[in-house]
Amino acid sequence: MIWRVIALVTGALAILAGALLVAHESPIVAVQTLIHGSLGSPAAIAGTLRETTPLLIAGLAVFIALRAGLFNIGVEGQLIMGAVACTFVALRIPNALGMILGLIVGMIAGALWALPAGLIKAYRNGHEVITTIMLNNVALYLTSALVSGPMKDKTSQDTATPTVDAATRMPWVYNHPPVQANCALILGVVVAIGLALWLKKTVAGYELQAVGANPTAAKFAGISTQRVTLMAMLVSGAIGGLAGAVQVLAYEGRFYSGFSPGYGFDALGVALLAGTNAFAVLPASLLFGILSKGGTALQVDGVPKGITTVVLGFLILIAAVIRYRKVNTVA
Amino acid sequence: MLTIALSAPLILAAMGGFTSERGGVINIALEGMMLTAACVDALAAPKFGPVGGLLIAIVAATSMSLLHWLVTQVYRIDHVISGMAINAVAAGGTNFLFLKFGDEARKGNLPSLPSWFFYTIAFVAPVLLLFYARQTKGGLRLLAVGSDPDKARLMGVQPIRVRFFGLLATGVFTGIAGVELVAYTGVFTDNMTAGRGYIALAALILGGWRAVPALLACLAFGFFSAIQVQLQGTAILGVHVPTELWAALPYLVTIIALAGFLGKNRTPAGLGRH
Repeated sequence: MIWRVIALVTGALAILAGALLVAHESPIVAVQTLIHGSLGSPAAIAGTLRETTPLLIAGLAVFIALRAGLFNIGVEGQLIMGAVACTFVALRIPNALGMILGLIVGMIAGALWALPAGLIKAYRNGHEVITTIMLNNVALYLTSALVSGPMKDKTSQDTATPTVDAATRMPWVYNHPPVQANCALILGVVVAIGLALWLKKTVAGYELQAVGANPTAAKFAGISTQRVTLMAMLVSGAIGGLAGAVQVLAYEGRFYSGFSPGYGFDALGVALLAGTNAFAVLPASLLFGILSKGGTALQVDGVPKGITTVVLGFLILIAAVIRYRKVNTVA
Repeated sequence: MLTIALSAPLILAAMGGFTSERGGVINIALEGMMLTAACVDALAAPKFGPVGGLLIAIVAATSMSLLHWLVTQVYRIDHVISGMAINAVAAGGTNFLFLKFGDEARKGNLPSLPSWFFYTIAFVAPVLLLFYARQTKGGLRLLAVGSDPDKARLMGVQPIRVRFFGLLATGVFTGIAGVELVAYTGVFTDNMTAGRGYIALAALILGGWRAVPALLACLAFGFFSAIQVQLQGTAILGVHVPTELWAALPYLVTIIALAGFLGKNRTPAGLGRH
């Protein structure tokens, strides 16, 4: 077991160093650029925290589904549906009420977008991974049609909605540019605490984890696995929708075509690294945030940003080999 | 003709999905394997010619496919996690490689094999696979492992070995599929597969994990893409249909199929099991 892990880690590092060397880039300089670009200055740290926010909330969405034994690959779709629905509401109610309603509507939209996957998994035994992949693509085309048609800002060339009024935006906790921190990050931490308590202290949370650990045993213990599966999917979708709504109200201010650069997929990596503890999602999302922000700095430096995605891919594989090995049934 | 051109990469990728999923290995990494092959072909073809490019691309896609085999079968991690990770590695890796080494390939007009070569493989392979899966020892073993790996093991068939060859074939098919994309457009662009791997998977599911129905589903999806390309937002019967609707259609149909509203559920019973 241990030697396998070591083999994989060294293998991944060797591949990366090799790729950089072949491309005539010094691996050491690349790592320095990455860290300097993400943590080297107050502005860089602010940027990293900004990248961390959607990864944290979306990561929690994947995390809670994973606790119930479900792979919610659909967080990407739930996120953009939540963002679009939130923008729709926030544009019409330009005050603090609009912000709160926007967040709530974003959550509802996310949950509704997860509903078909939950229903098909619970009652038709259709694999949630496939349905959520399909729903992601439908969400992508649907929102793209919305921002180039009915919801488009007619005064602008961009395929984007108008910008949300400043009064509807989520407030900054600390706002002295370039150093900024939005209360969205705090909201993310609150969601993490809420989920941890929910899993630990409530019957529903306990049932959810029981189904995730062993659905057959849970069923014999009298838990309705179908109900729990559906509920887990809805909660996960709602948090995914929240991630999108927060991204609109805290940072972007509008919805546009290509809104999410794959937050939902990175969130899967975040949740896999975090494992079984809701609080572990915090450092995991921070790591992904650092890689994402540092990747942009690398790009400026002439190293294509894709290299950080390769690192993430291998991190996911390694984390999975360490944590999610299936029990050997037959030797 | 446009329909065939747009269907061919889908068919090839779907056949790659067939040899993988009928052996019980969930494969959402078709997308990443195609993308890898497309990028590698674009990089290799200017130096080694169309045939060399094809072969090197197949090797690249196959190594991704065998990485999937290694982590899911030897290290026994979840197939979905592995698939996601491979897609990430492919998306990032091709971005990196092409920006670093793609100067020659960016000039365009990459040497490629004639399109009939790809179309022939795309239409012959499903029939051959049908015959292979039903009539040969190797094919029946693949299906056996895919429906119940434990029983197969008791009968003396090693799932890990059967799946190795299944994923080897997946690499070859997705490799050809990726090269076809480059041959058709003459260039490589970042993330040029644009979800075709997932559409191929959707077609495979829609075809009930059977080779020839999957071929027909791919043709249907290709037909809808062709409509999308040719209409480009013109009105049908006075109604303005957004092009996005046509693009979303394959995914919508697949969700309905998965909900069990189109015929019975034919998911291989051993999918994702060890």
